[in-house]
Amino acid sequence: MTSTESLETQSGPRPKRGPHLVLMACYALFILASGSRAVVQIATQFDVAPFAYVLSAVAAVTYVVGWFAIRRAAYGRPRLAEVMLWVELAGVVVVGTLSLVKKDWFPDASVWSDYGGGYGWVPAALPIAALLWLHRTHDNRPVKEPSA
Amino acid sequence: MHGTLAPIAWIVVGYGIVVAVAAVVGLVLRAPRPRWLDQMAWMLEALGVVLGLGALGSLLQGHRPSSMSTHVGYLAALVCIMPVAVMSVREDRESWSSGVIAVGAIATVVVAVRLMVTR
Repeated sequence: MTSTESLETQSGPRPKRGPHLVLMACYALFILASGSRAVVQIATQFDVAPFAYVLSAVAAVTYVVGWFAIRRAAYGRPRLAEVMLWVELAGVVVVGTLSLVKKDWFPDASVWSDYGGGYGWVPAALPIAALLWLHRTHDNRPVKEPSA
Repeated sequence: MHGTLAPIAWIVVGYGIVVAVAAVVGLVLRAPRPRWLDQMAWMLEALGVVLGLGALGSLLQGHRPSSMSTHVGYLAALVCIMPVAVMSVREDRESWSSGVIAVGAIATVVVAVRLMVTR
């Protein structure tokens, strides 16, 4: 690593402008939507569907971490995003499948019920879009030649 | 929501769709975000504030929605989403910043519809 690269890494270069702006806006919206939904449901009617409401809270936390992960990835540090986006996608798939197979576990819907059908399936599309962005952004970086 | 506010809500929905479409077109054309898109976004915010004030007045007059907390949450979201979206890209005129405006406009439309549903 050159001294210039080292300085850029330490001081945090401005991320490239690009699709991550839209992804971060979507994640921010889902932090607001799922977070406020979880808070209201847990505070006012937790006994109705505790499992579903806790899952909504988990989804909200996942979106918070996802937002930071995408931001870090935009600054050239994709490790957290590589993990978190797959975790988020797995959550949508597992919770979505459970909500269809074990309907009695979900007297009320969670954010990820029916694969996010209550939110126009955006919760299912979001991690896929973010993973595509991540792979396109970080797989296209020039490979450094090993120094002789 | 009081019945008289429904037309305002539909105006917000219709205008929000126009703003979202304009922003998406700018994004697809990879054009720098034009100033008029910001003005359209602020106009949507103004309409949202009018709707929000009307809904707030309706609440103060004694109207009770089916879920008060949800309704108030939608009211807050209605007036907050667009300013946050516009301000977050205020120094960035690149085409992807139009995408942020589109997300904000679509979210405002959805919130306005949900506000009508939870009235």
